[in-house]
Amino acid sequence: MKKQKTQIAITLGIMCFVLVLGIGIQLRTTQNLVSTAGGTYRENGLRDEVLRWKEQYDRIYENLENAEQQLEKERQVSISSDDNSVEKQEELKKINTYLGLTDVVGEGVIITLRDNTNSMLGIADDIVHDADLREILNELKNNGVEAISINGQRIVPSTAITCAGTVIQVNNEIVGSPFVIKAIGNQNMIDNLTRSGGFIYLLVNKYGLDVKVEKSDKIKIEKYTGVLTNKYITTVE
Amino acid sequence: MKKGKGIMTATIGLICFVLAYVMFMQFRTVEETNITQIENMRETELSETLASWKEKYQETAEKLEETNLKLQEYKQKRESNQEASELLNKELTQAQTIAGLTDVKGNGIIINYYDEDTEIGKVTNSNLIELVNELRLAGAEAISINDQRIINMSDIININVEGEDFILVNTKRVTSPYTIKAIGDQKYLESALTTKTIGFVTRHPNATLEKRNNIVINKYNGNIKIKYANNAVKEEK
Repeated sequence: MKKQKTQIAITLGIMCFVLVLGIGIQLRTTQNLVSTAGGTYRENGLRDEVLRWKEQYDRIYENLENAEQQLEKERQVSISSDDNSVEKQEELKKINTYLGLTDVVGEGVIITLRDNTNSMLGIADDIVHDADLREILNELKNNGVEAISINGQRIVPSTAITCAGTVIQVNNEIVGSPFVIKAIGNQNMIDNLTRSGGFIYLLVNKYGLDVKVEKSDKIKIEKYTGVLTNKYITTVE
Repeated sequence: MKKGKGIMTATIGLICFVLAYVMFMQFRTVEETNITQIENMRETELSETLASWKEKYQETAEKLEETNLKLQEYKQKRESNQEASELLNKELTQAQTIAGLTDVKGNGIIINYYDEDTEIGKVTNSNLIELVNELRLAGAEAISINDQRIINMSDIININVEGEDFILVNTKRVTSPYTIKAIGDQKYLESALTTKTIGFVTRHPNATLEKRNNIVINKYNGNIKIKYANNAVKEEK
């Protein structure tokens, strides 16, 4: 009888201890989090503001597009009788295309990269990294492409591809898997891109990424929806 | 004795129930606060997004003003081919400047970066790609590596000839020491590249940064070609 009582006491003791420990841990966790609880309020305000600014931006960008169309018409009217100027206007168009400021169509390749969702490797290797995208762009540029976009974001001289936490950004806009890279240029570059030992080959065979490369006769790439600036550089005569 | 045991069991049961209930409540609280914590993480992200939209808006507003001004000028000078042609020249020069087709000067930073005599100390093309990316993120308007101007479609590749690695920028060979010039917002460029733990210069002991005024960056030594990318026909709204 006495032995049984002791057993019950010990069992109860252990149970109480576990429960108290659980409560203790939770109290500490909660305490740590209390200070952050005020965030939601501020955040809703911020979210509203972001939306407002985006809307404002969209509106002013549309105005800019209209103004640029008018400018092009006006330019044409003004210079129509001057051969030299017509040539210059063509040159201006070419540079704007090169800069990524016009919508373009042409032959090329489309590369689709996907995070590997069912792999056995560590998570670091089997997802698409910002560096992977930069290396692929570099290979495309090496193959003489004339226009590139990643998930609709046109590659322009100011384009940076970055990674904050788990989020990849192109032109400061968030892009995610699947990554669709469109490039206009000679479609025969596909052999070069997929060569054994090349970067894409490594991504597939070493890191197990799901990468698809295909040719296309007609790819459309949208222009950059932003502004390129020259605030800090001046031309040296 | 029997009655006493009953009361004791009831008491203990009650205590256990209360403890379990409290724990359960706390679990729920913790769960909720965890969401707050995630949202709180988003808050910094939100502020960044907001700042970037504001900046884009500002840039677009300035560009709109500029375009409208040009439009007016063209309209005023419609009668005179001579003057219209001058306006076109101005526009062309601006596009060429942004594209990297003119020599430019301005304030910025110079990074000296060299091979170190260790396995990991040798500068690779990927290092340079990463550096260019960081400079672009920091808003550099003109960049060169050993006087090779970095333009939109510049490639930085590695080739291996008889066991030795060479780096080619714009298909021209560059070697250590590398001098990387960048013109832009000097303060911002400096702070971005020397940010604690993540800045490029902070992470690479074989790279040093100096601020310099009136840096001259040479133009791209070549022609830009557009052969495959045709301007897309604008869809009427």
